[in-house]
Amino acid sequence: MKSIVKHSVFALMAAAAAFAAQAQETFPSRAISMVVPFPPGGVADVTGRPTAIALEKVFKQPVTVSNRPGAGGAVGNAAVANARPDGYTVLMALSSISVIPEADKLFNRKPAYTLDQLAPIALISADPVILVVHPSLPVKTVKDIIALSRKQPGELSYSSSGVYGALHMPMEMFLHAAQLKMRHVPTTGGGPAITQLLGGHVTMTAGGPAAITSHVNAGKLRTIVSWGGERHPNYKDVPTFKEQGYDIEYYIWAGMFVPVATPEPVVKALRDGVRKAVSDAEFKDQMAKVNSPVKYLDAPEFAKYWDADARRLAAVVKVVGKVGQ
Amino acid sequence: MIETFNSLMMGFSVAFQPQVLMYAFFGCIIGTLVGMMPGLGPLAGISLLLPATFGLNPIIAIVLLAGVYYGAMYGGSTTSILMRIPGEAASVMTCVDGYAMTQQGRAGPALAIAAIGSFVAGTLGVIGLMLMAPTLASFALRFGPPEYTALLLMGLFVLAYMSGGSMLKTLAMAVLGLLLGMIGIDVMSGYTRFSFDIVELGDGVGIVPVAVGLFGISEILLTAGQADPPKVQQPTLRQLVPTKADLKLSVGPIMRGSVLGFLIGIIPGSAHIISSFVSYGIERRLSKHPERFGNGAIEGVAGPESANNAAATGAFVPMLALGIPTGPVTAVMLAAIMVHGILPGPMLIQQQPDLFWGFVASMYVGNVVLLVLNLPMVGLFVNLLRIPYAYLYPCILAFCILGCYSVSNSTMDVWIMLVMGGVGYILRKFGFDLAPVALGLVLGPMLELSLRQSLAMSGGDYMIFLQRPIAVTMLVLGLVLLGLALKPLIFKSKDWRSSVGLDENID
Repeated sequence: MKSIVKHSVFALMAAAAAFAAQAQETFPSRAISMVVPFPPGGVADVTGRPTAIALEKVFKQPVTVSNRPGAGGAVGNAAVANARPDGYTVLMALSSISVIPEADKLFNRKPAYTLDQLAPIALISADPVILVVHPSLPVKTVKDIIALSRKQPGELSYSSSGVYGALHMPMEMFLHAAQLKMRHVPTTGGGPAITQLLGGHVTMTAGGPAAITSHVNAGKLRTIVSWGGERHPNYKDVPTFKEQGYDIEYYIWAGMFVPVATPEPVVKALRDGVRKAVSDAEFKDQMAKVNSPVKYLDAPEFAKYWDADARRLAAVVKVVGKVGQ
Repeated sequence: MIETFNSLMMGFSVAFQPQVLMYAFFGCIIGTLVGMMPGLGPLAGISLLLPATFGLNPIIAIVLLAGVYYGAMYGGSTTSILMRIPGEAASVMTCVDGYAMTQQGRAGPALAIAAIGSFVAGTLGVIGLMLMAPTLASFALRFGPPEYTALLLMGLFVLAYMSGGSMLKTLAMAVLGLLLGMIGIDVMSGYTRFSFDIVELGDGVGIVPVAVGLFGISEILLTAGQADPPKVQQPTLRQLVPTKADLKLSVGPIMRGSVLGFLIGIIPGSAHIISSFVSYGIERRLSKHPERFGNGAIEGVAGPESANNAAATGAFVPMLALGIPTGPVTAVMLAAIMVHGILPGPMLIQQQPDLFWGFVASMYVGNVVLLVLNLPMVGLFVNLLRIPYAYLYPCILAFCILGCYSVSNSTMDVWIMLVMGGVGYILRKFGFDLAPVALGLVLGPMLELSLRQSLAMSGGDYMIFLQRPIAVTMLVLGLVLLGLALKPLIFKSKDWRSSVGLDENID
């Protein structure tokens, strides 16, 4: 027993010494840890893992995915925001990254992190969400929904992934734009939100294309309208809100971030690495299979994209305010 | 029927391919090991393996992950029985009577019955899955928030009969569990409650660190505090085999646990934990000698262990028939097959018959593998008890900390576990039973969520619970149970507790 302990202590010390020596060399000289702030199996995870595999090929260093779920992504986001800024801890975050600090502000909480603690590396994917209804609901278009909702004010209901969550925001955008009121049934994630709709316990929800495809094909859900700027390639017949005259747009996107104090050469190495990784054929194939086509933007463009998105979401949070007041 | 048989034969031809067979075996072993590690449950196990499955074909991927899942359900009972440390959350109930049996030198029969019960439940579950997946799946969908609320209320009423101690102490502990469950972000409004600006508490307190702390760490502390260290057990071969009486007592609980666990398992939500609680409560209600529960009743091992295995199988029904995950474990498995371009959903069974039937057949094989693997291992596991406590307990403590940390890579979880260990130590010194704390912590947040979801659906109208047939049925059943629980309090008639002198001095 004692000798095992002794050996492992020695091995650890040797490994630590090796790391210290290698750290002087060019980035990356050791394993990179990619923090996914959600449980395995979700959008961030199925985007993060293929990205990590593709990055491994580029960097010739291991890229390990580490799930740090909790508080709607706040735990993992905060962990990277406060991590050592050496580029060896990167974050695969979802669009909710911009909502959490706003919600903290709303409730006068000490923020878990602020957006200026994080620097964008690249946008990996962006999926518009699509409004789906239970097939028993006699509506086919946005106009039908609005008419029905006006006839029975407050009777229609929708499920979401959680209050201020990724599927709550787009519904509030729509309800505010159309001046409607509906009952909101928050759940604990995107999956449960769709289950509630399939069981007919609510009348509609906003769903990601990947999550709804099989149910739409089987006729268990009916698509109405999409939050995208243009029509989704897999849903050519689903109109967008913009076509219907509503100026609203919403995407669930996944992007990579590092702590803001990360040195410029390291950031550049990561940007170059991700650029090569996303053009990897196997990576594209993987992403297509999970129904989440690659939408790559390099840091400068992604920063603009992120900024516009964060302002849009902050506005929604302000409109929604504190729920129940 | 013939069609089912032919499809199943086709499935077996897939499952018996050497490569598939090998991965099923491999998955079962990993699962058993993961299940035995305190705190490390099936979710952690299959998430660690997920990236490795990307390079495999989808049938092998799902067979491997499923093997880990139900393997963990088997393995979870081992440390519960031997050390009073739940290997994974659904084995909390097994700690109570399983460990009592170990203290009486009957660890062998307890482990054997847990393995046999798991095998029967797993096999019955696969038969249920095979014959009724599509029918049951649409039934599961009808379980909306009101039905879930009613189910959970029924679970709480069962609680009234759960512990061996006084009603007052039981209820006090249940309230402690419910209060712990209040911590975290309020699902309806987004307010954080009792989190003291600690981000990690936003999602509330997890059941794993609490259960490992309350049951496991407290046990280590109690043993360390004894003046004379407990005698190291030297089990003989005779003591390993369950007696005829053991088997006879276990048949009923295993069968009931299997059916109950399967039915609860198909309902979306983390139901396998509830299934083991409910099974324990029912077995105690039905027993002619309820006073034996908590003091090494073999039914208290057989029922819950069968129920959690059947629930694990039941969880595959909505996953395969509808493409709906019932919990995080099935969500990861869906992700694993989606990566291969297979769309899970209502069309899966028709479009991918070799996947579905190969999977079903591999589960028959897997259950046999686990039984063959686990029964001979009983002797080996029991030998762990021969290790002197001075060596054994520090190792267990290290494993507890490792397992707890690895669930979501959070040091906060480790602190929660250690604090709960201290709390559990003090409470047990004062003779409180800790199982209701775990139950309250599991049921409280679920009940709050589903109750408030129901009211959000109805716009605040409580009539929603009386307008839905499934909910009404369960509520009436629950009220009958509550009435039975209250009867001795109101009529001052003699409860079984007082008739056996259990009301006072426990432990």
